[in-house]
Amino acid sequence: MTAGTMHSGKRDIWGLVLTVVSGIMMITGLYLAFVFAPPAMNLQTAVERFTQRVLYFHVGAAWVGFFAFFVTFAAGIGYLAKRTFFWDNLAHSSVEIGLTFMTMVLVTGSIWAKPTWNTWWTWSPRLTISAIGWLMYIGYLMLRSAIDNPARRARFAAVYGIVAFMSVPINFMAIRWWRDIHPAVVASGSNEGTGGFDMSPNMTATLIFCVVAFTVFYFTLLYHRMRLGNVEHEVETLKQKAMYR
Amino acid sequence: MADLLYLMLAYAAFWLLSFVLIFSIFNRQKKLNDELTMLKQLLKKEEN
Repeated sequence: MTAGTMHSGKRDIWGLVLTVVSGIMMITGLYLAFVFAPPAMNLQTAVERFTQRVLYFHVGAAWVGFFAFFVTFAAGIGYLAKRTFFWDNLAHSSVEIGLTFMTMVLVTGSIWAKPTWNTWWTWSPRLTISAIGWLMYIGYLMLRSAIDNPARRARFAAVYGIVAFMSVPINFMAIRWWRDIHPAVVASGSNEGTGGFDMSPNMTATLIFCVVAFTVFYFTLLYHRMRLGNVEHEVETLKQKAMYR
Repeated sequence: MADLLYLMLAYAAFWLLSFVLIFSIFNRQKKLNDELTMLKQLLKKEEN
């Protein structure tokens, strides 16, 4: 789809369908997290049992954050190979969404930590690497805003996006490589990681549903953000056209 | 009710950030669409 057709006043059926589907899935995810999933009976206090329900959205947001940064990594390679606006737009859009979701991860994780660890924040390997990774992608946006030349901006951002992605696998493996207070949700029940926990089938189903719902939500946001990128590109092109007349 | 405080805080933060992103995208889209219309009119006027 070109910038022109995306901007046209025609009804955006795909956008509408994606928005409605993701809205329904997110509300269903909320119902499952609050009502369907049983409380974690092994936790001692009521506050801990209630706050444990943060897990479903926290993990969903973390998955989307990591996935969004992977898309930026892949789009960076795509841009360096093809040098087309599509790949640059995809990479930039995905970082913006990924950063929002990683902010959610840091905020909801911190809120969960207060009643569970009795502190809002601790400099454990997982949390420290998460904070560094978040700052690295803030740097990506700062880099983009500092360069005026579109081709140079896209090239530098592509390289930066590829390098910054290194923080994602390190972040994922941090709780498996080093002793960490953060529980390992994936691979719990095995010897990997510390503080892992087992979930009942209803808890697992809720978690899987939330991860799928968040993925749909990500693609919906990506679709709308890329439309915005297309219009931005069109405005930039017209401005240059007007300037060099 | 106090037992629910952290749970409510976390979900409120999640929805707040989601809506900030959604409104930011739609707000920028609206502004750019207006700018695009204006630029197209300007270029058309210059051509004539």
